[in-house]
Amino acid sequence: MLALQLTLTGLQAGALYALTAVGFSLIFGSTRVFHFAHGATFTLAAYLFYAVEAAGYGFVPGLITSFAGAIIFGLAIDWFIYRPIQRDEGSFFTVFVASFGIGIVVQNLIGIIFGRSFVTITSPLTRSRELLEGVYVAPLAGIAFVVALVCLGALGIFLRSTFTGKGLRALSDDPELVRVFGLSPRRLSAAAFVIGSALVVPSAIFTSMSTGLNPAIGHHIMLISLAATIVGGIGSIPGTMIAAFIFGLAENLSLLWFEPQWSEAVVFAILFAAIIARPSGLVAKSAAH
Amino acid sequence: MENYLANLGVLICVYSILAITLNFIMGYAGIFSLAHAVFFGVGAYTGGFLALNYSSSILVILPAAMITSAALSLLLAIPTLRVRGEYFVAASLGLQILAVTLFTEWKWFTGGIGGLVGIPPISIFGTEIFRPTSFFLVTLVALAVTIAIFGLLVRSNFGRSLRAIRDSESAAAAFGKNVPLIKTVSLAISAALAGMAGALYASYLSFINVESFMLDTSVLIMAMVIIGGTGTQIGPIVGAVVLLSLPSAISYLNFLPQSEIGAIQQIIYGAGMTLLMLFRPGGIVGSGGK
Repeated sequence: MLALQLTLTGLQAGALYALTAVGFSLIFGSTRVFHFAHGATFTLAAYLFYAVEAAGYGFVPGLITSFAGAIIFGLAIDWFIYRPIQRDEGSFFTVFVASFGIGIVVQNLIGIIFGRSFVTITSPLTRSRELLEGVYVAPLAGIAFVVALVCLGALGIFLRSTFTGKGLRALSDDPELVRVFGLSPRRLSAAAFVIGSALVVPSAIFTSMSTGLNPAIGHHIMLISLAATIVGGIGSIPGTMIAAFIFGLAENLSLLWFEPQWSEAVVFAILFAAIIARPSGLVAKSAAH
Repeated sequence: MENYLANLGVLICVYSILAITLNFIMGYAGIFSLAHAVFFGVGAYTGGFLALNYSSSILVILPAAMITSAALSLLLAIPTLRVRGEYFVAASLGLQILAVTLFTEWKWFTGGIGGLVGIPPISIFGTEIFRPTSFFLVTLVALAVTIAIFGLLVRSNFGRSLRAIRDSESAAAAFGKNVPLIKTVSLAISAALAGMAGALYASYLSFINVESFMLDTSVLIMAMVIIGGTGTQIGPIVGAVVLLSLPSAISYLNFLPQSEIGAIQQIIYGAGMTLLMLFRPGGIVGSGGK
């Protein structure tokens, strides 16, 4: 029964990880920007929702603020930081450091404004019900899982069937070719940041209602997203998705054998094993070199 | 006052060593590591453990710390340096997270959360060094040796190979350079000296716990290198001096709430990293553009 319980929790965690990881993977795959501040987008979205909700304005205004905040933040970083740097020299290193700096600033500003301890939004949806004997599930977990699958499905359809979506997939292979076909790489990169940043919102909101938030949460999200992108294969959205689910399940199922403080270590043990065994990722698209 | 200055001097020396060793792999070999605090920590725990249980002789502690850190770096390097840079960033981040868990849980070696307490002072040929002023001299010598080692390495054939790899890995490989081997060796040398800094740090403070070796420390060392000037010889030391003086400089600004000083310091160096990348990617002492 415990295994079933942990599998269910793991699937929920995996679905939420998949949303943030796919956003990172989409941005990295199509624009080659190592967007380390993606974790900061998550923290910002979560705290904006929390602030509006805690002030008593309710769920929908919170949701809208969170979406607006995440998208504006993502676009602003792309526009004011990444583009000027890439204009001079597009080195991976320079962009990464700038992005890392932003992450530090956001985490500490949020710490100053909201304090560094855990905050949670209480909701009747988080109260667990007994599904089977000894297996408890909160309605929120089910909702989170379904919402995540819907978002991921919608993204898949968008990438496959729309002009912009196809452009995004083509951008990582050949920016020149994209230009030839009359799509602007700049507009596409903005689209990648909008979609990637918006994808963290459902995950951020569900986290604020279930496990709670602290300013450092962006780190954990960033680690998982990065690990899932690498394990799944850089540029492969399905690979990233599968890897995120594996991490969600592994983190929870590891509780069958290990103490909870080891769950993060389990994720990185998998990352190491994956780098050794399949350096090009689960779903190989571009070669490792 | 004398002790205060000696204390600051010791910390500046220790962090300068760390920044120089990180700069060597980051600025010259193009290996982007987020796990430098791990090598620092392994050296500190090894040194502390040996001093507590066996001997606090400098001839025992420093070599042991250096060998252990270098050996650990091989575990990271061998699987990951064959693949692209992004993989190494992820793997080093992974190592950093794993190491914090291990430092906290491996109680008989690291003392768990409580850390190692009462580490005896280091002894040089039977003389115990416990006064901050004399310890400052020891770390100053260690810093000078570090500067000399990396100065020689950078100017040697090996250093030229490293720069070739940083500028174009495929070109270097085409010229017959064994890229993974050269990278692995540089990481091992860098880790060994970071381990030495760790052993000195443990002996100086006589108390260490996991808090000194977490991701924040790796980021701090990285900030020192970047803000000072990546790929320059004096940059990492400038970075260490600037960032270690920052807390006391900030505490002179009376209007800031005392409880937020740590966060304000982090914001300053986070913003500093971002703005430098925009306007002066070479760092304070760098030549402007790269």
